[in-house]
Amino acid sequence: MTDLKVDVTDLKKNYGSNHVLKGINFKVKNNEVVVLIGPSGSGKSTLLRCLNKLEEPTSGSIIIDGHDISDPKTDIDKARENIGMVFQHFNLFNNLTVGENITLAPVELGKLEKEQAEFVAKNLLETVGLADKYDAMPASLSGGQKQRVAIARALAMKPDIMLFDEPTSALDPEMVGDVLEVMKELAKDGMTMVVVTHEMGFAKEVADRVVFMADGHVMEEGTPEEVFDNPQNERTKAFLDKVINV
Amino acid sequence: MKKFITFLSIISSLIFLSFFVKPQLVHADEKTYTIATDVTFPPFEYANDSNKYVGIDIDLMNAIAKEEGFKVDLKPIGFNAALQSVSAGQVDGMIAGMTITDERKQKFDFSKPYYSSGIVMAVKPDSSIKSLKQLRGKKVAIKTGTSGADYANSIKDKYGFKTVTFDDSDNMYNDVKNGNSVACFEDSAVLEYGISTGLGLKIVTKPANSGNFGFAVKKGTHQELMNKFNDGLDKLKKNGKYQKIIEKYTGKSAISATKEANEKKSKDSHTVLGLLKQNKKAFLDGIVETLKLTVVGIIGATIFGILIGMLGVVPNKFAQGISTTIIYIFRGLPLLVLALFIYNGIPSLTGSKIPAFIAGIITLTLNEGAYTAAFVKGGIEAVDKGQMEAARSLGLSFGKSMRKVILPQGVKIMIPSFINQFIITLKDTSILSIIGILELTQTGKIIIARNLEGFRIWGIIAIMYLLIITILTLLSKWIERRINN
Repeated sequence: MTDLKVDVTDLKKNYGSNHVLKGINFKVKNNEVVVLIGPSGSGKSTLLRCLNKLEEPTSGSIIIDGHDISDPKTDIDKARENIGMVFQHFNLFNNLTVGENITLAPVELGKLEKEQAEFVAKNLLETVGLADKYDAMPASLSGGQKQRVAIARALAMKPDIMLFDEPTSALDPEMVGDVLEVMKELAKDGMTMVVVTHEMGFAKEVADRVVFMADGHVMEEGTPEEVFDNPQNERTKAFLDKVINV
Repeated sequence: MKKFITFLSIISSLIFLSFFVKPQLVHADEKTYTIATDVTFPPFEYANDSNKYVGIDIDLMNAIAKEEGFKVDLKPIGFNAALQSVSAGQVDGMIAGMTITDERKQKFDFSKPYYSSGIVMAVKPDSSIKSLKQLRGKKVAIKTGTSGADYANSIKDKYGFKTVTFDDSDNMYNDVKNGNSVACFEDSAVLEYGISTGLGLKIVTKPANSGNFGFAVKKGTHQELMNKFNDGLDKLKKNGKYQKIIEKYTGKSAISATKEANEKKSKDSHTVLGLLKQNKKAFLDGIVETLKLTVVGIIGATIFGILIGMLGVVPNKFAQGISTTIIYIFRGLPLLVLALFIYNGIPSLTGSKIPAFIAGIITLTLNEGAYTAAFVKGGIEAVDKGQMEAARSLGLSFGKSMRKVILPQGVKIMIPSFINQFIITLKDTSILSIIGILELTQTGKIIIARNLEGFRIWGIIAIMYLLIITILTLLSKWIERRINN
């Protein structure tokens, strides 16, 4: 294995008779930003959620950072410490302040002392532009602010890879920019990222590689230029026509 | 998570131990027998003005104990409950104006007869009913498990009347006085005594089915107690004490004295304040017992409910199955059935007694705990699934995620249900009067058995419950505010 961060082989996921992933092969290199696109129901979110085992794969192997997380013997909690996840609906802990949201995991898992964690949290809040929200409750934040806090929360664990599950889909349009800005900065700093999104502009600008999925298969992948400007697969063409003409 | 459960179990065991473990005083010289009796069956047993149990049965039992050198722990739990407690081995014997019958001999061993009586029918003083024949199509009140009831049931088809069953004598008498039933059947000694002390009914038939009263133990057990009773009874008959006891309760002087006392007291007894003053100690004891049951019951049910509720959300099919089953069983069982099953059912199987208070607490813990478990589970499940996913995605274990993120949010959802459950638990303690716990409701029953002031006493009891519930609600709201801040 060279510098592969993610190595998924023949991944299948069934919900009863509903086959959502039908044998996915998917690789992400170190420092690479991969954007997953495709129509809804194509399985892109399921693939992403399999990567940190929020969904249990039906079969296939998933190796992240050299750990085979599809092996039941692997300590999944340990593996997840290295995999940051950002959700569509933010999922900030409603009972905790912004600061506590960020410091909870590093302190509970013994990564940082409380004071260190608070220092880190304040720094992270500053980088996402929310330095003044340290003591705020999540309920008092706008969607865009919540999502930036959620990113800071994931980053506090110093993950090697970040997973984004439609991070801007639940936001009002004017909030989208702030969140994408934070993600661009992350990409620039060399974070390995897998992003499920409908923001084609972001994909074009930031992605090293774009993966188009439909019906539980990877239909096509390549650089943004290859996929957006010269799509080979009929499904890709049809999808892009719809998305871009809107 | 594990630590949390261990912590809860330690706390719960400590609380339970502190309530149940009392230093046992051992009397090496005198054996103590637990004897069950009826709540009210004057002149055989009834509570006097100072709420002390007196009557022919009581005095006889005490006199025999004195002659034979043993001690008696008397439990006035009601006739039916006494029958069951003896068969279940919860008590050693019973003396409750119990007629010796062949049917009862299958399950009980009886002493030599200590009193003879017969069944008579009583009606309202202004009733036109004079004979059994006039009962056709009418309702007749009886008291469960008594030979009066057996007699009524044996002739009801022949005379074409229906029976209405009551658990104690007053409710039976009241039903006749209110006109719901036209007549009742009871032992002649009891009815004669009642009528002569102002019961307000009249006897219209001659004693029928005359029978003998006996002291009873479970068949084949407690033979030494039975021998002592028979031996003591013989001695009392010889030395004249037996006759004195009978005289004391059935003689003209005794009856007129009681009647006089009743009339003298009657002024006091008809005002709420007077009733309160007269029964101050009984009410206070009842309230304390109700509060004890409520507090220990709430603690037990809450701990049990949280444990079972949490078990239901652990990501393990087996644990969830156990949780669902426990909730299904104990939420499905009526509290009354559960209480009787634990108090009378289990001991008859295992042979070891369970004190009524502990049986009551176990009942409340299981039943109220099942309801608690259901809303604890529901409260946790009502927390957005994304909260757990986010916590797990950071590498936090299930237990840590539960404790730090899910529970604090779930508890807020559960609080109103908790307060509701506390109030229900308080009210449900009244059902435990069925196993003879002297809490507020049972206290009321006993006081009414003596003074027949049903309306006022139940009114007082109702207000007392409302007061306690108000205090409990205010306390809960205060705690709720503290938690929410």
